Amino acid sequence: MANVLDLRRRIRSVKNTRQITKAMKMVSAAKLRRAQERAMRARPYAEALSNVLVSLVRRSDLYDEQTDEILHPLLIEREEKNVLVIVVAGDKGFAGAFNSNIAKAAQRFIDYRREMGQTIDLEPVGKKAVAFYKKNTAVAVHERTAEHYDNDQSTHYTVVRHRAQAIEVAAEHPSMLLRVGIEEVSAMVHDIVARYERAEIDSVYVVYNEFKSVIAQRVVVEKMLPIRKLGVQEITAFEEMSEEEREAAVRAAHSAGVSVFPMEDDMAKSEAKFGTAEVDYIYDQAPGQLFHNLMPKYVTTQIYHALLESAAAEHAARMTATDAASKNAEDLIDSLSLTMNRVRQAAITKEIIEIVSGAAAL
Amino acid sequence: MAEVSSNSGLLTVHLVTPDRLLLEATAVSVELPSSSGYMEALYGAAPLLSELGAGEVRLHGGTSGDQVFFVAWGFVEVLPERVTILAETAMPPSEIDVEEARQELALGETMWNEAGDDGKKYEYANLMTRQAEEKLASAKDTGTKD
Repeated sequence: MANVLDLRRRIRSVKNTRQITKAMKMVSAAKLRRAQERAMRARPYAEALSNVLVSLVRRSDLYDEQTDEILHPLLIEREEKNVLVIVVAGDKGFAGAFNSNIAKAAQRFIDYRREMGQTIDLEPVGKKAVAFYKKNTAVAVHERTAEHYDNDQSTHYTVVRHRAQAIEVAAEHPSMLLRVGIEEVSAMVHDIVARYERAEIDSVYVVYNEFKSVIAQRVVVEKMLPIRKLGVQEITAFEEMSEEEREAAVRAAHSAGVSVFPMEDDMAKSEAKFGTAEVDYIYDQAPGQLFHNLMPKYVTTQIYHALLESAAAEHAARMTATDAASKNAEDLIDSLSLTMNRVRQAAITKEIIEIVSGAAAL
Repeated sequence: MAEVSSNSGLLTVHLVTPDRLLLEATAVSVELPSSSGYMEALYGAAPLLSELGAGEVRLHGGTSGDQVFFVAWGFVEVLPERVTILAETAMPPSEIDVEEARQELALGETMWNEAGDDGKKYEYANLMTRQAEEKLASAKDTGTKD
């Protein structure tokens, strides 16, 4: 049996661990609150943007006269042969099953698509997601050829994709989650839209952790392109959190003082009406032009929002995980203290018996 | 258009960026940098939707005084009593980083030179250059230090 000194040392070490996990929990809670606020503040813009698009769609001059189809490359549905999957995971570990849940959901989706004979492009976002595919997945190769003519006065560039394997990493964004910024997302979408327009990919999906509130989270696969209906999320697969996870999340949120309800956003009201007034707008530019310029922005805000929600979910997962760790540490301290007291008592008893029996022998 | 009953004669102006609602204020008139040139909206203006270019949004005569914001790219909705500006980038001129703007300008020019006959790249380079130029102009107007 261990001696008192060893046990005391162990208790001290577990106490230190508990101190750290407790601190981590509070930090995560603060970060979660901030992330939630950011996600909420981003809503007016996204809503206003999708409203303008919806009101523009109602105008007839966007449609092709013969086929009656709307004229925009991002709305055209092709047969899905090459699928781009954007996998959004976290930057760090210590967040329970957060990262592995995403990896699993992504893998399921990829397997399913592979069975249908489709090829997959991956675009991991966040350090952990990048790490998932670092080892075993080939990197996509693009060849850019320049063709000079007119005595080198002008150059024509063409980009050709050389696909060697069925699953390849098209691009990676390890540091995008440090501070989710619209410029970075915009650049990423710009690139994706270019690939979509030259038919290198036929559809785009995002795998991420949706976050409405601490108790309303799920891992979803959302279709981003082609856009079938504006202003409507198209979720193709999702996985709700289990009852157990929910309870753990509620307990963690409660002890860290985070609300389990979604944040109220009352400031979005006037933006929610953006572009929807029942009046005949004067369009400063041709509606077709407006529509054309807005579409990539719409995709950008959708993905931006997914990233913000995922960031909030990561902090929430870390808060829950560290709360569970603190609780485990507490249990361990209790049981170790009990053992230590027993051992100490046993030693005392033993000593007394020795004295008593020694005295009796005299 | 029927006159609004609460005829205060003031426009409500909202400036929204992708991260947040930056400004909620009132104004007698608002100057807006539409992509086809500056325009000014007054109370009771006809409903209008327009794309924004790069430049300054100037609010005049509101309850909180005149205000200027640098904005770039986005959309604006003008209604008789309300103006809502959706801007991709928006900040007060005092927050403009002149050094960064200069770098952007240089980058835009390099991109323009390297664009070849790729129309999209030209367009992108032009947008970048324009934004940087407007940024610098805006910063100069208010006498921001280098």
